[in-house]
Amino acid sequence: MLSFALTILLDGLSYGMVLFIISVGLTITMGLMRIVNLAHGSFAMIGGYVAGYLTQNGVDFYLACVAAAVAGGVLGGLAEVTLYRPLYRKGDLAQVLLTIGLVFVATAAITEIFGAFPFPVQFPAYLTQPVDIGFRTYPAYRLFLIAVGAVIAIGLWYMIENSLFGARLRAGVDNARMARAVGMNVSLMFTVTFVGGCALAGLGGALGAGILALEPSYALKYLVLFLIVVIVGGEGSFKGSFVAAMALGIIDTIGKYFFTEAASYMLYIAVFILLLIRPKGLVPAKSVL
Amino acid sequence: MKKMLAIAAASMLWLSSTVAHADVVKVGLIADFTGAFATWGPQFQQAIQAFHAVNGTTVKGPDGKTHEIQVVYRDAASQGPDKAKQLAEELVLREKVKFLAGFDLSPHAMAVAEIATQAKVPVIIMNAATASIVRGSPYYVRVSMTIPQQSVPLADWAWKNGIKKVYTLVSDYGPGLDAETYFSKQFKANGGEILGSARSPQQETNYAAYMEKVLQAKPDALFMFQPAGAPSIALVKAYVERGLKNAGIKLLGSGETQELFLPNFTDDVIGVVTAFHYTETNTNPENTALRAQLVKMFGEKATPDIASIAAWDGMNLIHQSIAALGPKADGIKYVDFMKGKTLRSPRGPIMIDPDEREIIQNMYIRRVEKRDGKLVNVDIDTIPMVKDPWKADNPLKK
Repeated sequence: MLSFALTILLDGLSYGMVLFIISVGLTITMGLMRIVNLAHGSFAMIGGYVAGYLTQNGVDFYLACVAAAVAGGVLGGLAEVTLYRPLYRKGDLAQVLLTIGLVFVATAAITEIFGAFPFPVQFPAYLTQPVDIGFRTYPAYRLFLIAVGAVIAIGLWYMIENSLFGARLRAGVDNARMARAVGMNVSLMFTVTFVGGCALAGLGGALGAGILALEPSYALKYLVLFLIVVIVGGEGSFKGSFVAAMALGIIDTIGKYFFTEAASYMLYIAVFILLLIRPKGLVPAKSVL
Repeated sequence: MKKMLAIAAASMLWLSSTVAHADVVKVGLIADFTGAFATWGPQFQQAIQAFHAVNGTTVKGPDGKTHEIQVVYRDAASQGPDKAKQLAEELVLREKVKFLAGFDLSPHAMAVAEIATQAKVPVIIMNAATASIVRGSPYYVRVSMTIPQQSVPLADWAWKNGIKKVYTLVSDYGPGLDAETYFSKQFKANGGEILGSARSPQQETNYAAYMEKVLQAKPDALFMFQPAGAPSIALVKAYVERGLKNAGIKLLGSGETQELFLPNFTDDVIGVVTAFHYTETNTNPENTALRAQLVKMFGEKATPDIASIAAWDGMNLIHQSIAALGPKADGIKYVDFMKGKTLRSPRGPIMIDPDEREIIQNMYIRRVEKRDGKLVNVDIDTIPMVKDPWKADNPLKK
């Protein structure tokens, strides 16, 4: 029974880690600039495809992951400067239209370049095997995800809590106007955060390709998941996005295991209930971050 | 609608009386060329172009005149049945097509029943596999397959090969439920036991929890029905990672291991057994011709699949019916001609059921193996000329 509970925990955590790595950038940028960036998944998708293309052509997996993060970050930076900036004062509708349009552009571009079929990332052989973890054998890949996710989460937490940039970031999320008034360059901070968030998304797309499979419809298909993490966690809340991603990963796994018939909507019922209890998210930004 | 059709018919008469040279027979092909189902349209189109390259685009009619067959392609853009219906109307009224063809998705095919019946236009279904579709209009003729056609022979094969207990895991949509129903029914009728039946969301790619359940149930085999592509690749991956393969649980399926998708799998997929109506590496002369032509026209990577063979056979049927009846026959006459027709398809022998206008074909039981460093499906058994079991369960009302 214990081993069974542990299995569910590991399954849920590894899934949650992928959601976290991809979504954390979206959470912070949404909290900071109140911009509705529906194109966030596109950066994860592009990162994943870059890693897929490189690994299929013999490039080392870890190098390919770095390339995926760079690709996500560079494209994210370009998009922020050229497309997103003019949008900040335009209101939700314009933001939704432009960013969902970007999703379609990314989908069409990926189809044109890589074709419409699923696109694999070649993981190193030792990650594709089950390993013995004492009470059972367990996929090495998922343990790897949990480890990488934990390292990224701790790194980000340390940076946000203890660095000057982190303090400014928290101030910006709490009250952007006041932060500007005391002389902080919030726009620059936003660009940096946006680039970082997109780089993490790209990395997440590459690392998580074994769970969230790469295909041209990726950016739209998993968008709902990413947005759920943001909303359930609380906009702008780093801790919230972590807690939400883990919770959703575990709830989804439990749902599939115990309520197989209802697996398709278990997650949504859970989100519904969570938001009913905590409409501002599990860990709202202004009180805790 | 009727008035418009009358005008259309009148203008067609006028056209044909003023044009003296050979007739052009138009075939309207509706499929998804963009969007989530964008793999289908190009596969249909390439196979049709290959067919025309091999057999020519002209047909000699019964009167000795030569007629040109022209295919007009329309993209349903993965936008659903309304779009398909609108395209069909446009093709019938404006392009004045004599045949409709294509239809990768069942809802798309179903949406044109009324138009086909009213305008008397035969519809050659080249994929849409919901068993009941052909009952929707007397103008439907199907050259692809139905799901029960695959699941029932597989259940028989499994039972005969020492598999006594099965767990089923299907995708939660129409075809998946058909597969679950027909596999389970047939397997139980043989004396087998179904230990459990799980359904996964249509776009599922995270199968960990399902595999744990199956592992605990300890079946002899796991029967899957998952959309080819990301979901089936993820399932096979989880099946290995979770130790089901090591535990000796066999994996059974249908279209998951098509050659088109095999390059996406790792060697884990070796040993998966599927029942399918087309083994891409078979050596039928028609198949060799199709494959060679596709490679010649579209490059080394071109791979024939079920869309290619259905498009090939569908065009063959259309060419033959125009050769027999000329370009101006009544729609229902073309359908009557196709009923009972036997063809040599790239997949093997096929026949159009004269009562149901449904394809009758061999089912091939294949196992994935590695040959010359490449993953391929190898035939291990053939069940000859399988009729759609759904039709037998739901007999025509006389």
